[in-house]
Amino acid sequence: MSFDADVIIVGGGLAGLSTAITANREGLSTIVLERGEYSGSKNVSGGRMYTHALLQLFPDALERAPLERPVTKETYEVFCDEGKKITFSFEHKTKNSYTILRAKFDQWLAKEAENEGVLISYSTLVTNARREKDYIVVETNRGELKAPLIVDAGGVTSPVSRFLGIKKLEPKTLMLGVKEILDVKPNLPEDEGEARTIMGLIGNLKGGGFVYTNKDTLSVGVTIKVESLYNSNLPSHEIVERFREALGIEGNILEYSAHLIPYYGYDKLSNLYDRNLIVVGDAAGFLINDGFNIRGMDLAIGSGIVAGKALKKIKEMNDYSKTDIYYEMLKESFVLRDLKTALRSFKVLNEEEIFTKYPKILCNTLSKLFTVTSDGKERPINVLITESKNENVNTTKMLSDIMRLFI
Amino acid sequence: MTVNLLKRLGLNKYNVDKNSHIQVNTDICLTCKDKPCTKVCPAGTYEPSPDGRIIVHYERCLECGAALVACPYGAIKFTFPEGGISYKYG
Repeated sequence: MSFDADVIIVGGGLAGLSTAITANREGLSTIVLERGEYSGSKNVSGGRMYTHALLQLFPDALERAPLERPVTKETYEVFCDEGKKITFSFEHKTKNSYTILRAKFDQWLAKEAENEGVLISYSTLVTNARREKDYIVVETNRGELKAPLIVDAGGVTSPVSRFLGIKKLEPKTLMLGVKEILDVKPNLPEDEGEARTIMGLIGNLKGGGFVYTNKDTLSVGVTIKVESLYNSNLPSHEIVERFREALGIEGNILEYSAHLIPYYGYDKLSNLYDRNLIVVGDAAGFLINDGFNIRGMDLAIGSGIVAGKALKKIKEMNDYSKTDIYYEMLKESFVLRDLKTALRSFKVLNEEEIFTKYPKILCNTLSKLFTVTSDGKERPINVLITESKNENVNTTKMLSDIMRLFI
Repeated sequence: MTVNLLKRLGLNKYNVDKNSHIQVNTDICLTCKDKPCTKVCPAGTYEPSPDGRIIVHYERCLECGAALVACPYGAIKFTFPEGGISYKYG
């Protein structure tokens, strides 16, 4: 049997390109199928990347890659009723993470891959995939291609896995991200940037929002559980606009985009590999939210690097059913280790009260603690218990949930 | 400053296919009271019609994939389009 390549990678985003670069460096012939006219033309992300995985691929990436600004200020804002707001900021002059714009960044990464010899076929849409005896055929708008190893790097909708019937998308494990880019130049020195995480400005919807400072623009967006949109009175296309207006951000909109976000958690991951198939990045459901970091892009690159190395081992064994090697290697990498560590926090952050009740209780409690009247003061814990009761929340459970984020 | 949805969508670059990449079984829509597709889509692609069915403006689609999971009755068949949207900044 002759094949079109050792590996066909479906999707030319961060995960697909990282897989391709690594597999190519390992000596495998590799084709990337990208449905956009260029890499990044279909990609939407909030826009913040933790750079450690990228630096594994390109140690000099901070000098060469089209990154926007290093995030030197982290701000959390919780808006409550009646003009109450909790704000927490932390500043650190670090280059641990950068804001990025994917239309620029993915193009650069694709060019790097091509310079190293990776073949990328643009405007190539995979319309179906089927398993033959010991290989997989992908059907595209340009004809059929076959390979003994296929990598599903097609993003959160994981097309190849769905075509092969091994994955079904469920609303309970997905969030919707909606984003605007505004022509507002941040009032910051060029080597500083801010990431704002904001809760309480999208009504009763389960989710939050963000504002990231780019070089000359702002990325403003919301992320919402898909299920919670079902009962929303606000059309989803108005949510990001209301959010921006509530923050008082004004400027010309340069772009309006939207994307699904995987929200599985370590214990609900599935579909990471199958016979002749490896799944990476968003397609595998790799996303971490532990309250401190919301990460997807470094996991995409990290899983791609592991996949590229695993593909080499599988080829050397000449047994293309042995894709569990990828899973075994993934378990030893930061990807699954960090996902596992974050599970407890992830579960807490998945609970409805986090979005709907806890912010109000904390705001009302702080409001009372910072107010002095002639009626006399209560002990802080008693104030908290009263405010929790007002919202029908068990105080012990709430404190336990908050502690679970740290322990 | 409220920006009209169509103006916002007009900021993007589209290469729309002649044939829609979204097919809807509108008979099923007749039985659906809540019409979650109209709530989920950030591009207003799905619009309720007075006759109880759904009108699909497929040329607005941002290809986010929400429609893949929106309909609990399987009335919507969504495939990614050839061409479609391209983002410039994002």
